[in-house]
Amino acid sequence: MTTATTPPAAPPAPPAAVAGTRSRTLPFWANPRLGLVIVIVVLVALFSSLTPAFLDPRLTLAPLQADISVYAVVGLAQLAVLSLGHMNMAVGRMAALSTFAMGLAYDRLGVPLLVGLAVGLAVGAAIGALAGLVIARTGVNSFVVTLALDFGLLGLVTILYTRATDGVAFAVKPAGLAELRFDTFADYCLGEVCGPRVPLVVPFALVAALAVGLLFRSARLGREILMTGANPVAAQLSGIPTHRRVVAAHALSGLLAALAGFLLAANNGAFSANIGESFLLPSFLAPVLGGTLLAGGAVSVLGTVLGATLTQVIYKGLNLLQFSLEDLKLYIGLVLLAALSLDRMRAVLAERRAVSSS
Amino acid sequence: MKNLVRTNEFTLAAVAVVGFATLAVATDFNLLTAGTMDAFLSFLAVPMVIGLAQMVVLAVGQMNLSVGVLTGFCAMASAWLMVDAALPAPLAVLAALALGALVGLLNGLLVVFTRINGFIVTLATMTVLEGLRYGVHGTGTYQGYSPGLRAVGQASVLGIPVVFLLALAVAVVAALFFRRTVSGRRLLASGGNPFAARLSGISNDRALVLAHTLSGLLAGVAAVIVVAAFGSVNASIGDDLLLPSFAAPIIGGVALVGGVVSVTGTVLAAFLVRLVDVTQAQFDINRRWVDLIIGAVVLGAVLLGRARERLTGGAR
Repeated sequence: MTTATTPPAAPPAPPAAVAGTRSRTLPFWANPRLGLVIVIVVLVALFSSLTPAFLDPRLTLAPLQADISVYAVVGLAQLAVLSLGHMNMAVGRMAALSTFAMGLAYDRLGVPLLVGLAVGLAVGAAIGALAGLVIARTGVNSFVVTLALDFGLLGLVTILYTRATDGVAFAVKPAGLAELRFDTFADYCLGEVCGPRVPLVVPFALVAALAVGLLFRSARLGREILMTGANPVAAQLSGIPTHRRVVAAHALSGLLAALAGFLLAANNGAFSANIGESFLLPSFLAPVLGGTLLAGGAVSVLGTVLGATLTQVIYKGLNLLQFSLEDLKLYIGLVLLAALSLDRMRAVLAERRAVSSS
Repeated sequence: MKNLVRTNEFTLAAVAVVGFATLAVATDFNLLTAGTMDAFLSFLAVPMVIGLAQMVVLAVGQMNLSVGVLTGFCAMASAWLMVDAALPAPLAVLAALALGALVGLLNGLLVVFTRINGFIVTLATMTVLEGLRYGVHGTGTYQGYSPGLRAVGQASVLGIPVVFLLALAVAVVAALFFRRTVSGRRLLASGGNPFAARLSGISNDRALVLAHTLSGLLAGVAAVIVVAAFGSVNASIGDDLLLPSFAAPIIGGVALVGGVVSVTGTVLAAFLVRLVDVTQAQFDINRRWVDLIIGAVVLGAVLLGRARERLTGGAR
């Protein structure tokens, strides 16, 4: 079941963590997360009635969960800076650079799978921190800085791949990558008890979602980042080192982008130069569908996971119904517009009711 | 005089002249031969217009992510009208312009009525347009349409390509629009300070819709240039235009927060980017270094602007 992957992510981000004051005054149906769950359930029911293949655990559901894992982490990477009211236009290219570092570590140093992952995460965090540092020091709009960085990294990554590899990808396959790609927990049994048919990449995304949710909900660092996003001047006057929080949020974004790159590389089975090319649009789709504002100061981790789930369910469903990739784009765009307009209508209605009842 | 020297435009012009001269000398004046010059200017036309299309929405503090894909869609649509619907070229050109303006209008109306951030709205319409652009003719290529339009696209007056002159005319009109017309001034006022603009009786909503419509219209102009100058169009047109559309105005000194535009700066920046492109082609440098350099130039230009602001104490 597709929805089965999302409930475990529920604890980190209850709606209360989002726009705390609003959820108290507005009725429950104004919560965008609930709407997402309903839409996902309806779509899953629709797709499974149209093509029974949609419920095939091996061919559809397992890859779907793997895809959701990748794009949920991509969305979280964007969410990390949306919390500040910033954007990270280089999210895909940061992932590409980090996966290059991972591939290089596996290829030249022959490190184990997790060590290589750590190397890549460090590179991602470093490049994110660099972006954050430039933004914090110069005060230049984050859009411009990360756009310029995207240009720069686009060139750099291609040059690096042509220098370090023969073609566009590393030939090396570190031990464990194939298992991560193909295996589900159902392949591992303790005596009689076997795990569910959940791909091995899912826990990575779950841990990331839990960690980010806890960070923004309970950790001092996360709360301070949110405060910086809500009102930088007030945050600074309250003694928050806003510059350092900006750097931290961007470093987190880079780190999550690197993780997403790793998960995609695991799903594809190769560390290649085209990783991250398709990250930019989904990185905004997931948080925005989930109700995270571009203005900063409020985030919803659960919403982001649900947003990623919704888009991937649509992709997978239309794909099974033999729609072409370009048709998919058309429908995804229309769904996004419809979802956002509905969300807006719901918010307006809810506000009106809250006003008239008080 | 001192004020002129200090402007961003002056710096850009100086860099452009020096860069052009250096490149001319370095290529043994190969750059100045008619053929090279013609290609240089022809391929400058689209980035110029597309940069202006982005600049118009930046003026009101918005962004238009759909600008590149819209160009591709309009180009495909007008080619379809000429090839499959057998319409005369002038009608197809008008249709491309109207289509661009219409999509821009839709963007603007969506922004105003839903109150959703323009970035997100155009992100969504970009995705929709990508599907539509492909839907016109699949992966196929249109070519061999209207010899008359192709002739215009390749013609030149006094050695200067007509398409470049067209782009230049568009730039002049845009500059006059922002400098002289009431609508243009209102757009800038609304972008600079929406609250003050509203108190002065300016409709911010109308400014938003107008800016998005003009942006779409300019994307339509870019599409016409593509169709006329390239001679063949397919569904990949516009994919590589989004980032340059931001690079030109940002290097040119247009603020993302709105209220400030610089047509001269945008045109000069497009020229500079083109210069980097030609250098790459002339010396057979890896295409990817160009991206690296443009990234550095964008950041450098913005940082320079900041430094200058600080030095002059924001005395503008």
